[in-house]
Amino acid sequence: MKIKWILFIVLPGLCFSQSIVGTVHNLSVSGPGSVKALSETEICIFCHTPHAASARGALWNRTDPVSNYTLYNSSSTEAAPGQPSGSSLLCLSCHDGTIALGNVLSRPVPISFSGSGTLAGRGSDLTTNLDDDHPISFTYNSSLAASDGELVDPSLLSGPVHLQGDKMECTSCHDPHSNVYGNFLLATNENSALCLYCHDKNFWSTASHQTSNKTWNGNGTDPWFHTDYTTVSQNACENCHDPHNAQGKERLLNWLNEENNCLHCHNGSVASKNIEAMLSKTYTHNVYNYQQIHDNKEQDPVQALHVECVDCHNPHAANGGSSQSPNVSGALQGAPGIDTNGNPTNNAQYEYEICYRCHADSPNKPSSPTPRQWEQNNVRLEFDLGNTSYHPVEGPGKNTNVRSLISPLTESSTIYCSDCHASDGPGSPKGPHGSIYPRILKFNYNTQENTSESYFAYELCYQCHDRNSIINSTDKFGKDVHKKHIVKEKFPCNHCHDPHGISSDQGSHTALINFNTAVVNPDPNSGRLEFRDTGNYKGECYLECHGKRHGPKTY
Amino acid sequence: MKKLASLLVVVAVLSATAFAGTIVGSAHDFSNKNWNNTGEICVVCHAPHNTNTSVTDAPLWNHEVTTTNFTVYSSGTFDGTIGQPDGASKLCLSCHDGTVALDNFGGTTNGSQFIGGGKNLGTDLSNDHPVSFTYDAALASADGEIYNPTTQNSGLGGTIDQDLLISGKMQCSSCHDVHNTQAVNGTKLLVINNSGSALCLTCHSK
Repeated sequence: MKIKWILFIVLPGLCFSQSIVGTVHNLSVSGPGSVKALSETEICIFCHTPHAASARGALWNRTDPVSNYTLYNSSSTEAAPGQPSGSSLLCLSCHDGTIALGNVLSRPVPISFSGSGTLAGRGSDLTTNLDDDHPISFTYNSSLAASDGELVDPSLLSGPVHLQGDKMECTSCHDPHSNVYGNFLLATNENSALCLYCHDKNFWSTASHQTSNKTWNGNGTDPWFHTDYTTVSQNACENCHDPHNAQGKERLLNWLNEENNCLHCHNGSVASKNIEAMLSKTYTHNVYNYQQIHDNKEQDPVQALHVECVDCHNPHAANGGSSQSPNVSGALQGAPGIDTNGNPTNNAQYEYEICYRCHADSPNKPSSPTPRQWEQNNVRLEFDLGNTSYHPVEGPGKNTNVRSLISPLTESSTIYCSDCHASDGPGSPKGPHGSIYPRILKFNYNTQENTSESYFAYELCYQCHDRNSIINSTDKFGKDVHKKHIVKEKFPCNHCHDPHGISSDQGSHTALINFNTAVVNPDPNSGRLEFRDTGNYKGECYLECHGKRHGPKTY
Repeated sequence: MKKLASLLVVVAVLSATAFAGTIVGSAHDFSNKNWNNTGEICVVCHAPHNTNTSVTDAPLWNHEVTTTNFTVYSSGTFDGTIGQPDGASKLCLSCHDGTVALDNFGGTTNGSQFIGGGKNLGTDLSNDHPVSFTYDAALASADGEIYNPTTQNSGLGGTIDQDLLISGKMQCSSCHDVHNTQAVNGTKLLVINNSGSALCLTCHSK
């Protein structure tokens, strides 16, 4: 009976399971953390005093930090972070690591802690370099939301996230008094719920990084080193971003080297497709070659040659959706591009538009390995539908009678760049990540002189063009042109055909004829280097090749 | 009988800690001050007759009352209304704002002894915990991080409203026991031991 009475009197003072008392912000000797006072019993005192408080407000019991902070800076943020203000200054009076936790206004002698008594060197030490932390102390108003385009209008902010005045401060995300959700967050950040109160990323609702329940198999680097969540979906933004002390300061990426943000998951340890393995091949879009060159606000077409995963993929948008050419696949959803007219778009509709960012109008773009009668490295011009001849990437081709096509392909079919340029090997992930074949071709494509014809020699071409039709057709074209050149003379397809197309600005050959000038020269008599299309499987050539003059040869 | 015995034990325990104090010898015992030639204790604040009734509920007030127009606490996150100090707080401030001489009591208005040091809150109360605001269930609900004073136990036997508020308002006396009858020894006359910030957390649910 006595016990019951005493409990009744004592318990109301001790029931603080959801309160600051049980958190590491209880810096008193009774606190649960490793950083705490040696003997001080009061809890509130480390921040608050009932009398003679700092002019900062909130009955603040600490002096303001005096540091001149290095601020967050990013080419893609429209916000203008200022020196920390408002409640952020209060937080930083401990969390910049410069001021001892026990230095409070209400005590003439600092409250004793073990060690330096500051947070210096700890994970909670943001330091005075705030350039690797989510920006704070910036005005977040409707005009910012409008100029950013992917921020919720602050007038529509719902839920626990709130501004101080019209500024985002530490307290917009954190409640220093309550640690129900970890990291003193105002709400759970599972599925990045807290981030998404403000950030409204286009395509996010269907993005794999939001929907995938994949887990890490324990191999390689822990991709989720700063969270306790165990699926892609749960980690959401934090799959790639770290709101504090981020290695990749600009855009708060988990890792400094851009590709690591992708490849720590896309290496077979989380994602089902192992992109890292593709990038270890000889011919790759070598994302390892470039550091801090890509900028997601960079001008399109790309000026400084480089490639990163995000040059082709939008991690806020990408999903596993399938597609038909020329439309972008789910993996390329929401990526930037250049359209057929050379105009930039931030939401490519067609796969080729993404390739055109670098392979069309960019300076210093990769050049063709074959010297041609008409040199053209701008693939946008090569595939233009106004040309007389092109592989059907932007739209169906001009040749209405291509008998070698393997069903279901027809003359009205279109193909992707990535039907030819892709990782080799069965089961490899789609897309031109890496191949054992030059120019990241999906299959072997011999371009050397004296190549004995075989299925393998021109495996790339024979995916669509039936080998038997090409070399065994019995008409004059079949025998005297293809079989003679390919089988008997052992010339590769590439000697006569330019696989991309012929820009209308330069030539008007049909059938992708654009001679390899390393071996094919003008007819010395007429000076002509020309192919004349005279009807179905009929034509004539003016040239000299291996000492053989065609002046013309007709079929 | 057994029940009664238990209750007596509890009362005995509480008496030993909370009710042992007296104003005699406390910080508010001015009987031996050279500016108080009456030698009395109570007279500095109280008199049995002809007292100042200008302050609501003033208990037989015998000290000059402050006329300061105070700068009061304000905060964007405070949901109540903070007016000029009134009631008990105004009486406290009649010494603790530093504008009225300690020895201005019993009709004296030309005293020369003023409160000093940290005990002088000054006339700017913006850096002091707010006082003289209504602390009721509605405020608790609006704030979300303070207890409902009409239902939350103060730890002193009744609710916050019953034990710590005066006419539903937080006043200086909510935290401080001017007469030291129940104040915790060794504190600034606090009504509840603030170890573990227990006094703060009586109302604040952080």
